[in-house]
Amino acid sequence: MARLIGLDPTSGPLPEPKGGPAPRPATLDGAVVGLVANGLGEAEAFLSALYDELTASAAIAGVVPVLKSSVSVPPERDDWQRLTTEATVAITGFGG
Amino acid sequence: MTELLAPRLEYDDTLELIEDYHRRGWTDGLPIVPPTPDAVERFLDAAGLDAAEVLGSVPTREVVVTAEHAAINAVMAGCRPEYMPVVVAAVRAHLHEKANCHSTTGTLSGASQLIVINGPIRNDLDVGCTAGCFGPGWRANATIGRALRLVIRNVCRAIPGFLDRATFSTPARYSFCFGEDEEGSPWVPLHVERGLPAGSSAVTVHSVMVMLPSPDMVSRTPEGVLDSLARTMRRQGTAGDRWLGEGTNVVAVMGPEHRRYLVDAGWSKADARAYLWPKLTAPQQPGEGRVKLGSPEGLLLVAAGGPGMAETWVMFPHLAWAITEPVVRGGS
Repeated sequence: MARLIGLDPTSGPLPEPKGGPAPRPATLDGAVVGLVANGLGEAEAFLSALYDELTASAAIAGVVPVLKSSVSVPPERDDWQRLTTEATVAITGFGG
Repeated sequence: MTELLAPRLEYDDTLELIEDYHRRGWTDGLPIVPPTPDAVERFLDAAGLDAAEVLGSVPTREVVVTAEHAAINAVMAGCRPEYMPVVVAAVRAHLHEKANCHSTTGTLSGASQLIVINGPIRNDLDVGCTAGCFGPGWRANATIGRALRLVIRNVCRAIPGFLDRATFSTPARYSFCFGEDEEGSPWVPLHVERGLPAGSSAVTVHSVMVMLPSPDMVSRTPEGVLDSLARTMRRQGTAGDRWLGEGTNVVAVMGPEHRRYLVDAGWSKADARAYLWPKLTAPQQPGEGRVKLGSPEGLLLVAAGGPGMAETWVMFPHLAWAITEPVVRGGS
């Protein structure tokens, strides 16, 4: 009996997650902290307050604040460049 | 005959295929029609497209959508081959940069993708435009809308919990498609207002964040009906966005019980927009949102729906423009 053929409707297998969570730094002393605000709700104020908390507990060396140009698109190339070249760690949020 | 490129799977029978597609996460939860090579070739022939024809892409997801992808998912959705040119136009529209596929299908807010069909193809395909047109009952409405959503799921990878991050989502994500009631209205059809020739066919794809009714059973004048509509729009407001600029749209679908007061008084869609514009842009009052449209033309008025209830439905946008794309029969 002829077998029934079905075509795969997808654009390929879903990609496997690349790597896992970044290793947690032993200390933030001397770190430059990236703050990536997604633009939703009070994201900027929340990250600013979080940064204040961090500076109270570690000798933070600097900050790289990024506010996305739109809540609906990823950070722009220049922002990625600043984060990957200047920041030791970066913090972002999900939702608003 | 075009060469199909998709991987092939073999089954003993139809039910085995349907169950396996469910198991693989390739459906929206409803059963699908088996996308056999013969069926997919018929769909591509109906649109005059090669399998490898690129309809668009989602760069952030490294996804390219081809005509074969659209055809496979249109078969699965239950479309007829003659629907394929409409599905192709809807996919192209949704993949326009400013239709913002990545955001509108990944958003926490669970936006839906509305397809409004215009032109003679509505009648050829029996597209529901009048009473009950937002709901079930028309194969074309149900399956064309579902085909776009299956492309979004299977090809663009907007899978709940993966790249679809909706908090609740919406039943409108199964399918949301209807036609403008061009026969029931003397107004210029939506696609013609947006620059396409009269007599042509087109789709307009609009990502809907919120849809609200604007009922008004009391007003008997154009001004009264439109004042109610303006209040509904100002109560909700629309989000602004630098990347989208002034190109966002609100779609207002006006039923016949409201339309007749405008039409009988000789008001066109443009007249309605001109009346509404200062009311939409007046300074905010407490409890109101801002309606951030770049111009009166950002408000897209559509005639549809059935008699009985004096209401207009307002489709507020997610972060996208409404994109109008011509339906090309038998070729790209």
